[in-house]
Amino acid sequence: MASDNKITKKDLNKMALMSLFEQACFSFERMQAVGFAWGMSGCFRRIFGDNNEEMAKALQNNLDFINTEPHMAAILQGLIVSMEESGQDRELIHSMKTGLFGPLAGLGDAVWWYTAMPIVAAISCSLAGQGSVLGPIIYIVFWAVTGILSRRWFIRMGYSAGLSAVKYIGDNAAELTKAAGILGVMVVGGLIPSYVTFRFPETLVAVGNVSIQGIFDSILPNILPLGFVFALYWLFKKKNVNTMKLIIAVIAFSVILSWLGIL
Amino acid sequence: MQITLMQGILIMLVVFICAFDKPTEAFMWFRPLVVAFFTGLCLGDVRLGLSAGAVTELSYLGLLTVGGTAPPDPLFAGLMTTVLAYTTGQDVSAAMGLAIPFALIGQWIHIAANTLFAGFLPAVDKAARRGDEKAIGRILFTSQFIYAGAFALAAFLSVYALQDGIAAFVNSFPERLIHGFEVAGGLMPAVGLALLLKVMLKGENVPYLLIGFVLMIITNCQNILPIAILAGAAAWIIYTGDVRRKAEAAVSKKAEEDYSDGI
Repeated sequence: MASDNKITKKDLNKMALMSLFEQACFSFERMQAVGFAWGMSGCFRRIFGDNNEEMAKALQNNLDFINTEPHMAAILQGLIVSMEESGQDRELIHSMKTGLFGPLAGLGDAVWWYTAMPIVAAISCSLAGQGSVLGPIIYIVFWAVTGILSRRWFIRMGYSAGLSAVKYIGDNAAELTKAAGILGVMVVGGLIPSYVTFRFPETLVAVGNVSIQGIFDSILPNILPLGFVFALYWLFKKKNVNTMKLIIAVIAFSVILSWLGIL
Repeated sequence: MQITLMQGILIMLVVFICAFDKPTEAFMWFRPLVVAFFTGLCLGDVRLGLSAGAVTELSYLGLLTVGGTAPPDPLFAGLMTTVLAYTTGQDVSAAMGLAIPFALIGQWIHIAANTLFAGFLPAVDKAARRGDEKAIGRILFTSQFIYAGAFALAAFLSVYALQDGIAAFVNSFPERLIHGFEVAGGLMPAVGLALLLKVMLKGENVPYLLIGFVLMIITNCQNILPIAILAGAAAWIIYTGDVRRKAEAAVSKKAEEDYSDGI
């Protein structure tokens, strides 16, 4: 880094805190635009000083549609600030932003929402289910620490490593997303037997006084929860059933079957 | 049990704080595990808050905001599952089923807010043209207060003002219907997991889902972390292999081109 940089480490850490509001003022029209632009405004002010004209151009350049993963947005914010500081062409900045927010969203969703969330939730809920306050405390601490540290780290990465590093992520986004997907589905596989309860009552017997649940258990324990998840998956994926309709259908299914004494 | 005015006000404050975090998704305080825990504290029944939070968190695991679509609201689900279990004395699984209409109220508030905030954009653009980042910040925080305020108000009405009517309505349900909601509570996590799979599961990933599932039933350890570590190891192996193969393919392609140039 050149020594004539105006942005200090302190500015970057402040931007990390402002970046926590990246998704504030979310609207269906431009999604995260307001929070995304505002998060960088402190550093923009440091770069442009009293020059409100340049300030206006930099802000406007970042106020159109953007929708990415809130943690990952920090990488883009760091990169844009470094590009503004070195006086790069705003059109280049803009096209870079537009090209990268999609891949970063895919990667961020896979890492934070589909992988970290199920793992942390499973650990915390198992503690909370046993009546331990450690459950919610671990959950809160995990998200607070990773929420702040990841943003500080991502901003510094975007700022100092520059376009090449962010390009590396963009180039390897497919491999990273695939790996995160493997991690995520294996965890979901482990969650199915512990969290989905689908058992017939022991009193429900077939001919010859064999318990129906016993038959399923002797085929494969927890085969019913697995089958039920796959049935719902099929309805979502192939039949495109709306989430709310499916939730209502699950309730209706449970109420009817339990009314008949089957569940 | 009755909810006192004091408890109602405390819960309103808790919801305000948790809903302040909801648009930004920065600290995950809007997740059912956290909301239910704080609600349990307000009601003086921490154990109830913990068990309601654990059940609801897992059911709403996959119900994430994907691509601007709003799912049933996790904050109201966590809140009302705890509150309904407290006021009606029902099991938490049944309370979660009964809380679904309230999760829809939260979803509507969310959609209304995201529509309203599109109306803030002209003011944001005007501030940006002046290079006035402070005005943008004010608009951003105004939107945060409107959002959290609307949630807090709706929570107070649902929790305190309408509690007698809701409790009387629920208690008029026959025993069998309540049992149906309990069964539905046990099946609901399947909806969340199936939604996660809708996004993550690809043909090539199915073996990992089955490995995770079978590991859990044969070890029966009821703890997801060992499986998560194995899943991370598998993801790591696959990722490094993929990146190496990609690099090798690039090299051999280059070599081929060199060779063809030679002819």
